Amino acid sequence: MNIESLVFLCIFLSANAYFAYKVLILFRLAKSSTGTAWSGNRLDHIPTRIQVFFTNVLGQKAVLQKKGAGLMHVAIFWGFLIITVGTIELFLYEIFPPFSFEFLGSDFYSVFVVLQDSFTVLVLLGLSYAFYRRHIIRPAGLGKSYDADIIIVAITGLMVTLLGMNAFRMIADPKWFDSLMWASSFFKKGLESLVVSPEIGDSFFKVFRWAHLTIVLGFLVYIPSSKHLHILAAAPNTFLKHLPVSKPMRTINLENENNTNFGMGKISELSWKDALDLYACTECGRCQDACPAYNTQKPLSPKALVLDLKDLLMDNKKAVLLGKQDEIFSVIGKKITEDVIWACTSCRACEAACPVFIEQTDKIYESRRNLVLMEGKFPTELQTVFKNIENNFSPWAMSPEDRDKWAEGLEVKTVAQLAASGENYDYLFWVGCAGSYDDRNKKVSRALVYSLRKAGLKIAILGKEEKCTGDPARRMGNEYLAQTLIKENVNTLNNYKVTKVVTACPHCFNAIKNEWKHFGGDYEVIHHSQLLATLIEEGKLRLTKEQPEQSQEHPGGATKSKEKITYHDSCYIGRWNGEYAAPRKIINSIPGVEFAEMDQSGPSSMCCGAGGGRMWMEEKIGTRVNIKRTEQALEKNPSVIAANCPFCMTMLTDGIKAKELTGKVKVLDIAEMVASNMQ
Amino acid sequence: MASALVYAEHKDGKLKKITHELLSFAKQSGCDPSAFLAGHNVEGLVQELASMGAKRVFLAQGEALKFYSNEAYGRLLVNAVKSSSPQFLLIGATAQGKDLAPCVAAKLGVGLASDCTKAEIAGDKLKVTRPIYAGKALADIEFLSGPPYFAAIRPNALSIGALESGTQAQVTAVPLDLSALKSIIKDVVKGASAKLDLTEANIVVSGGRSLKSSENFSILEKLVEVLPNATLGASRAAVDAGYRPHSFQVGQTGKVVSPTLYIACGISGAIQHLAGMRTSKVIVAINNDPEAPIFQVADYGIVADLFQVVPVLTEEFKKVLSS
Repeated sequence: MNIESLVFLCIFLSANAYFAYKVLILFRLAKSSTGTAWSGNRLDHIPTRIQVFFTNVLGQKAVLQKKGAGLMHVAIFWGFLIITVGTIELFLYEIFPPFSFEFLGSDFYSVFVVLQDSFTVLVLLGLSYAFYRRHIIRPAGLGKSYDADIIIVAITGLMVTLLGMNAFRMIADPKWFDSLMWASSFFKKGLESLVVSPEIGDSFFKVFRWAHLTIVLGFLVYIPSSKHLHILAAAPNTFLKHLPVSKPMRTINLENENNTNFGMGKISELSWKDALDLYACTECGRCQDACPAYNTQKPLSPKALVLDLKDLLMDNKKAVLLGKQDEIFSVIGKKITEDVIWACTSCRACEAACPVFIEQTDKIYESRRNLVLMEGKFPTELQTVFKNIENNFSPWAMSPEDRDKWAEGLEVKTVAQLAASGENYDYLFWVGCAGSYDDRNKKVSRALVYSLRKAGLKIAILGKEEKCTGDPARRMGNEYLAQTLIKENVNTLNNYKVTKVVTACPHCFNAIKNEWKHFGGDYEVIHHSQLLATLIEEGKLRLTKEQPEQSQEHPGGATKSKEKITYHDSCYIGRWNGEYAAPRKIINSIPGVEFAEMDQSGPSSMCCGAGGGRMWMEEKIGTRVNIKRTEQALEKNPSVIAANCPFCMTMLTDGIKAKELTGKVKVLDIAEMVASNMQ
Repeated sequence: MASALVYAEHKDGKLKKITHELLSFAKQSGCDPSAFLAGHNVEGLVQELASMGAKRVFLAQGEALKFYSNEAYGRLLVNAVKSSSPQFLLIGATAQGKDLAPCVAAKLGVGLASDCTKAEIAGDKLKVTRPIYAGKALADIEFLSGPPYFAAIRPNALSIGALESGTQAQVTAVPLDLSALKSIIKDVVKGASAKLDLTEANIVVSGGRSLKSSENFSILEKLVEVLPNATLGASRAAVDAGYRPHSFQVGQTGKVVSPTLYIACGISGAIQHLAGMRTSKVIVAINNDPEAPIFQVADYGIVADLFQVVPVLTEEFKKVLSS
């Protein structure tokens, strides 16, 4: 080994050692996190996870949700993978000259060389677009980033030095893959006009090679503290992602008396998955673009939240690693204010948009839990809500005695009555607080009972025994209150041996279906839009053009033929549970109506503004989410806006009122549309 | 005959209705009623107290008493009680009464039944009823300590008797020792809302989005001016539309009110609003839309345009209340 190789080896090893040290710190930081909430098994279903790795890491599926930026990333990402093999060859060439992968077979090597050269060009094209996008198009979500500019310049340097290196190598050794390396030889031809001798070519070959390798090693040192950390963390984060579409909130074990701290108060109280999420962030801004809070001038940006948490963790790593409790930063501070945390509607648009599967909502939920359970800090309006849920078992101060009043005259029997007479029923109808107490939504409850009966189904209710699911309290951080209600409800359902539940409320649906399992409640839960769609498909419900007479049973407002209908996806049926088809199927099965899809629909639908407990909070900052969403619906000039959630119903109806279009544009629940169009 | 001392509460030179209620109650129960009156230049109210039934008035006057203060008024009331040894001491469960009563009870070393909704005097005994557990149950209370048997009674819980003309009350001055006071209230600076606090008002007139502009709220303001102890409220939709500031909002995310009379004008009655006012004693709803959910909780409903109804109501109230 000559002296040159020895020097290079030393530099190479030091850069790698430094890189390893940095990564080790990141690893230990994630491991030392003390979040107490259970975030699920992330190593189950390994074959599925491998498949996810192939489609989303190698296949870049999630990245390609955005076409332009996605293709750009694919070029740079695959270029990176392929050129890295060439870089390894180059390192070995430097240490053990004249090393080459040629020994693996000349055909293989030819392909290898062509790929190296072609991807160099593709990466350069990708980089030009990246530069153009950042500095000419300037999408709002991307923001300014010196870090990103440094990386663009560095990778451009890598590609240029690579082309230069190969071109000079061809000048030094004219036979060297001239015909295969089309890009480099194009470069070479340009240099030949300057009449470069093979000797000078050889020297420049070395200069460009060293320049290239210096940038590579510099990159290695730079990565762990830059946004490019995502090239290390995004792949594991994707592999360890939450697999199903639906996701329960993390459960806190309140029975464990050793748990004295709840939620995320300090930056050290992230879970390891939260920390990995922060490392994986690519700063692409897709979450911010999708966020209804950000888009209505609230202080919350999911991107800023993730980056601020990352900064807090990095700036505080010494104290976190040494466990110096007094010196560990609080999450809530100058950058992440309480307003940031309370602005979230928990619509999960951020998570749906994220190309590397970061789970932003968990950070917000954990922070709310800490604020409520440990600090007692929350918007004053929530005091009333918590008190009402505790005393009256509903977020509104309505009497539990009146819970079944919506059903007066319908003669819906309670589970208790049916159990006493030994009768069977098909579904327990979980009415929910809105369906029980809110006048507008009571009509939906009645319409649903009417439709299901028409299809020959026997429905039972819990009546006065039904209580709030606790979900509003849970999303607002009051885990203690939420678990109290969950346990009481599970107890009631289990006592009556309930197996099948239908509900018109997506929030109740999500809670009962996905979250009560952890508390001993396992039921077959179906949303009314799913059940109605199935009944229509099976021919048990037939919709007609003919208008049945308005009756007491379905006074919610009829949909006539020739109505133009647009549909607003509720977050908890859509993004939280992946059901987009059923409600559309129902609308399209009403003869003679015209269906118009909103620009933001399906997985990229915008929230109505009521989720995450926002229904019960004042919206004091910025413009109103419900108005914005109503405006989006009105762009389609609908005569009916279809909803399938009591809170969306309220928000959109308020939006229509604010636009002074009451009477001109109706907001109807899917169940009402079915009830008023039945044969 | 057992004697009853009533704390005479007044504001802006007028006796509050609660004072009349308490004196009428004492008189109707066969007691010998007397009143304690403190303030600056308030001798004019003595005659009125007499017509309400007070046979004797303990009068404390002075510049330093211009504004209510717990310390000065409390001290003087204690002196009046000590010098006259009444069997019953009655005070209104108003903001002022709730502030004053506990301190007076402590100084006298007697028990206090606060926030009573019913009272009954039999011989020399006082029996009161007060709600507990946020109104879910009622407790009947008798006194173990005293006399005086000391009760703070909610406004509007007792009925008022007719005023008698030509009656006279014996006035006993209660001297004020300024040097003993640690503080004197010199001035009270009122906040922007000079109106009665929403949660304290006896009558709330609320407007919704149908008012269409903040200027149109003036027709409700006129009604509020005519009604005694009344104030203005608004629905969330009206507040969102910027017709009124958030401090006026009645509902789930605003103020929760429970007045004797709630007049909802152009409010549809969304659940957020109902949650804030459904416990009102009497609800009157005025709305164009007969289907509006507000009519389901209303005791009286008027299906009509509020712009026509409210001015008529105002005029009628004016006539009835002035006669």
